[in-house]
Amino acid sequence: MRAKEIGGAAPAAWLAGIGLAVIVVVPFAAVVLQAIFPNLGRGSFAEPFSLLLATLSDIRLVGMAGNTVLLGLAVVAASACLAVPLGMVRALYRVPLAPLWDVLLLVPFMIPPYIATLGWIMTLQPRGYLEQIAGFNLAPILFSLTGMTLVMTFNTFPVVYFAVSRTVEAVGSRYAGVGRVFGASPLRAFFHITLPLSAPGLAASLLLVFAAAIEEYGTPAALGRRAGFEVLVTGIDSRVSDWPIDLPGAAALSLVLVLLSLAAFLVQRWILNRRSYQTVGGKPQAAEKQPLGRLAAPVLAAFAAVSFLATGVPMLAVLATALTRTISGGLRLDNLGGGNFAAVFGGASGALAALGNSLLLGVLTAAVTGVIGAVAAYAVVKTRIRGRTAIDVLTVLPNALPGIVVAVGLILAWNMPALPFTPYNTPLILLFAYCCILLPQTARYATAAFLQIGDNLEAAARVCGASAPTAFRRILLPLIFPSLASAMLLVFALASRELVASVVVAPVGMQTIALFIWRQFEQGSVGLGMAMAFVTIVVTTLLPLAFLALLRRTGLVAA
Amino acid sequence: MLHDPSAAEAVSTSALKLHFGETVVLDGIDLTLARGRTLALLGPSGCGKTTLLRLIAGLLGPTRGRVAIAGRTVADAASGAFVPPEKRNLGMVFQDYALWPHMTVAGNVAFPLQMRGVPRAGRRQRTLQALDRVGLAGFADRRPGELSGGQQQRVAIARAIVAEPQLILFDEPLSNLDRELRETMVGELAALIAALALTAVYVTHDHAEALTLADEVAVMRGGRIVQLASPDRLVATPAAPEVADFLRLGGTAEVEPWDDRWRFAGSPVELPLRRPAGSGPARVLIPTAAVSLAGTGIAATVLRTQFRGDGHLAAVAPEGLAGVELQVLSQVRLKPGDSIRLSIDPDRIHVFPPAGRVS
Amino acid sequence: MLKSLKSVAFGALATILGAGVAHADITVYTAGPQSLIDKLAEGFTAESGIKVNVFQATTGKIMARIEAEAANPVVDVLISASWDTATDFAKRGWLVPYSSPNAEKVPAFLKNDTTVAQGVSALGIAWNTNSGTPKPAEWADLAKPEYKGLVNLPDPAQSGSAFELDAALGAADDYKLFKDLKANDAAIAGANAEALNPVLQGAKAAVFGAVDYITFGSKAKGESIDMIFPASGTVVAPRPAMILNWSKNQDEAKKFVDYMLSDAGQKLVADTFLMPARTDVPAARPLISDLELMDYDTAAIYGKRKEILDEIAKIFAAN
Repeated sequence: MRAKEIGGAAPAAWLAGIGLAVIVVVPFAAVVLQAIFPNLGRGSFAEPFSLLLATLSDIRLVGMAGNTVLLGLAVVAASACLAVPLGMVRALYRVPLAPLWDVLLLVPFMIPPYIATLGWIMTLQPRGYLEQIAGFNLAPILFSLTGMTLVMTFNTFPVVYFAVSRTVEAVGSRYAGVGRVFGASPLRAFFHITLPLSAPGLAASLLLVFAAAIEEYGTPAALGRRAGFEVLVTGIDSRVSDWPIDLPGAAALSLVLVLLSLAAFLVQRWILNRRSYQTVGGKPQAAEKQPLGRLAAPVLAAFAAVSFLATGVPMLAVLATALTRTISGGLRLDNLGGGNFAAVFGGASGALAALGNSLLLGVLTAAVTGVIGAVAAYAVVKTRIRGRTAIDVLTVLPNALPGIVVAVGLILAWNMPALPFTPYNTPLILLFAYCCILLPQTARYATAAFLQIGDNLEAAARVCGASAPTAFRRILLPLIFPSLASAMLLVFALASRELVASVVVAPVGMQTIALFIWRQFEQGSVGLGMAMAFVTIVVTTLLPLAFLALLRRTGLVAA
Repeated sequence: MLHDPSAAEAVSTSALKLHFGETVVLDGIDLTLARGRTLALLGPSGCGKTTLLRLIAGLLGPTRGRVAIAGRTVADAASGAFVPPEKRNLGMVFQDYALWPHMTVAGNVAFPLQMRGVPRAGRRQRTLQALDRVGLAGFADRRPGELSGGQQQRVAIARAIVAEPQLILFDEPLSNLDRELRETMVGELAALIAALALTAVYVTHDHAEALTLADEVAVMRGGRIVQLASPDRLVATPAAPEVADFLRLGGTAEVEPWDDRWRFAGSPVELPLRRPAGSGPARVLIPTAAVSLAGTGIAATVLRTQFRGDGHLAAVAPEGLAGVELQVLSQVRLKPGDSIRLSIDPDRIHVFPPAGRVS
Repeated sequence: MLKSLKSVAFGALATILGAGVAHADITVYTAGPQSLIDKLAEGFTAESGIKVNVFQATTGKIMARIEAEAANPVVDVLISASWDTATDFAKRGWLVPYSSPNAEKVPAFLKNDTTVAQGVSALGIAWNTNSGTPKPAEWADLAKPEYKGLVNLPDPAQSGSAFELDAALGAADDYKLFKDLKANDAAIAGANAEALNPVLQGAKAAVFGAVDYITFGSKAKGESIDMIFPASGTVVAPRPAMILNWSKNQDEAKKFVDYMLSDAGQKLVADTFLMPARTDVPAARPLISDLELMDYDTAAIYGKRKEILDEIAKIFAAN
């Protein structure tokens, strides 16, 4: 509520505004216009609304939307059940081998959902790896809502785990200790003090999981369709992929998905506004963690089991498929061989070029989303300029846009004949697509980081003689850098393996990691695809970890 | 924009107003401060004192009015002129220290020098000098997080003085410290201000700090300055009852004419004080020093007591005088509920001028 | 000035990222196997010096891209996996009439004045030889109890050739066969590759309507899989190649079609286990003349596409 704000507001808002306009508004506006004007692709605004109403009044829409919400809520609930206890224990107790579990639970971020799903299918289906090893299979569970929920949960619950362990660590056992002084049992102190204080971080991470779940394509497509379980994204995909193509219908369904996501976003906002605590004070406090005592063995077993399910099973399935010469040969010693890996490194069908392209695109995407996310978060949190709510909404909007819709929107927008120059059909269009899809990641982390920085740190720099840009560069940026860097590393990993938008929007002649894998699967070379997937997961896990280690050594990021 | 380095006026504001939407936060602030002097802005929270400081710093812009520093207009709502904070040559100490946790102590202190383009060698020397001055020699390479609250605030002070700015702003710098440390720091700050002949504006809600440190004190309330005067004048002739209340100078009471004297309004209790001819009902301040325990006199009941260094300060309610509360210093400890008698020295009673006239 | 600076900057980035659209001579969108189009492009460039830019995806994804690009299309040559697209595009007037001199030996049903087949695939039964089930010979065999719960069908909504097979078989006995398959716990499982993968691992024994060249390719890699063409008849899916009328490089596009139908081009087609379009090019697999083809009216079934898909979806809907 400041009357007139002095500071870096104007340049930051301009930079954020221009970036968001290009990255988010352009494709989103194209999708909205496509929903309204069915002939937009041909550059015509004829027959507005003619198909929108038909799509929205389709009775199947209710079922798809219902299934979408059901799946989203199921994944949220399962993720919470799995991640909250683990995260709490990790934050409050001295868990043996804690860094190992953290790394193992980081890997699911790097496993593309379509790969994880295929890994689970090849493990659990009849005569799958489980049956080959243990003599039984779990196929009936796999191809059902339960199966979908479990596979997606193992892929996304680390978001909640890391959010919970971080916030609870910040809240510390201190407040719970205060509660116990006043006579609360450990359990009551936990439920009445620690849990409510951690609620904002928990709610934010659960929203991320919900947004990711309703937007996920690979798992529902592979597991849900067989169970007759159609969600909005698979509905959108079939409108975009099955002849005759129905782009207006896909756009209209996307808008329904956007509304669902926005509703979730508003619920989270509401929760955060009701319970907002500044738990991170200026004075750092050494976290007092308690020993586990007799609980050590069961806790260790739980961490091991969850790590095995989330990381071990998919990775082993990927590796097994990559190392077997033929799939029908199964897990027999004489069927093992490194041929698929040799093919990847031998440059089969441009595997190495695809790897290089994707890693470069990943780095560029991380850089662009890092800059725009940081600037937009600054404008939203640290200034009171008009339009900052619009900036806030725009940074989370892509969460609600399925990758395939972003891709179609980008083509519609950037392939208009009147444009003097277009990034379409150049690698730039992939960069645009990835930036749009992944911008919420950096914006969210940067926003959280800015919220924890006292306003006076910037004011002090200004009074000391630093101009607004200098204060941003010398004071604010270094302070949010640890958060921003981890978000950028995540963006790097996600961008370097993005599939759904890439399939539609990739420029001619361009290979990326995900396209390479997908094309191998399409042509029946599952083993080669899995070898590439394994290499990718290892590279995208090790590169960021090495980078973080380097940062720590140089003292830029606190250990 | 006039710039006259020799101007005696270090800061001046005229008709300064600030609105946040419908809310009026500052409502017409006029003040001037001469070079080498210290002005305290004193008032309860929400009175606008910190906002006024941020207007001087350039962290906010005024809705109306003008701010000048060293004779140079730095903000003028009428012309839209505005000099950003970094161009105002200031130092500032914040309530929450506002030290940058990612820099060392020396890095924090050297920052203003770096921004002013001081070469590296000079920077190091002046930084160490400033740290030495605040008693933190040897802490240069530590991180702010490793220091105690008092040490952190000393770093903040060193950062504010290191570039020898023309004006230093203090925003409740000691309010986060415990009482003992606060008292030590007030003394040290006073010595520092005197030794460096600093020009300073000092925001506080603690009257003791203000009266100790400042050459002039502006008592603020509801976005206005109620009284701007030297500490001595403020104590001797407070302009309004709220000033006296805030400075805890004693008890205030409504009085009405009674013959050629006064009596407490609505009661038969007389005040032994001559009334100027023609004056009507008024408010008076009965300073603590004017009240003493006596064998006879006004009957009163002890409400509460608190130990001060020189005795027990008791708040007492004279009998039959609703709403009046006086203070008396007693050498023995009184208990709430005790009945006592008071005598009042009429010469020390201060009659407030009628409302609307401010000295 | 500014504009040219920008395009230089973008061009530099494009070069760094390893794609050279600016030097494109022709752009080919293809649903075919990536390895085939890579080799065709390589051979064509070596022969003619004309560079080929390739976008490879499923027919559906390619169509979505062309649809979205409609205001400013970039594709010169389209090779689809479904003859239906060629019919549709011809009806819209998007195709350039062209008869390649190399198309002489292409049988009449694989060409018309705007379209010529690159190659042909056929559908059949892909059967895992280690599955412990008897070798099927006929479509109807897969409804027998030995195959209960062990049969996958590619989704006709996602695969054009599967649609034609299902429509033709469904018309023959009013979907009785499909009802029997459903009663035998057969499942519709995604696109062609998704349907085949569980059969390779042994989760399923057979694919009802598998695309032959993918199966032959797997077999060549050593998978224990076999391809059976039922004697009662099957459908073939010619892969139509066409030149789009918005192409600014129609001469080069025609040269590409010529190369695709040349001896060298057709040999590459045969090497990927597709049937060559030309009858005079040999292939190490059964050819059209070896297969029994079902007789059905293509125009009629595509006219009722939505109804047929709904019918099949209804039969296989989960209980």
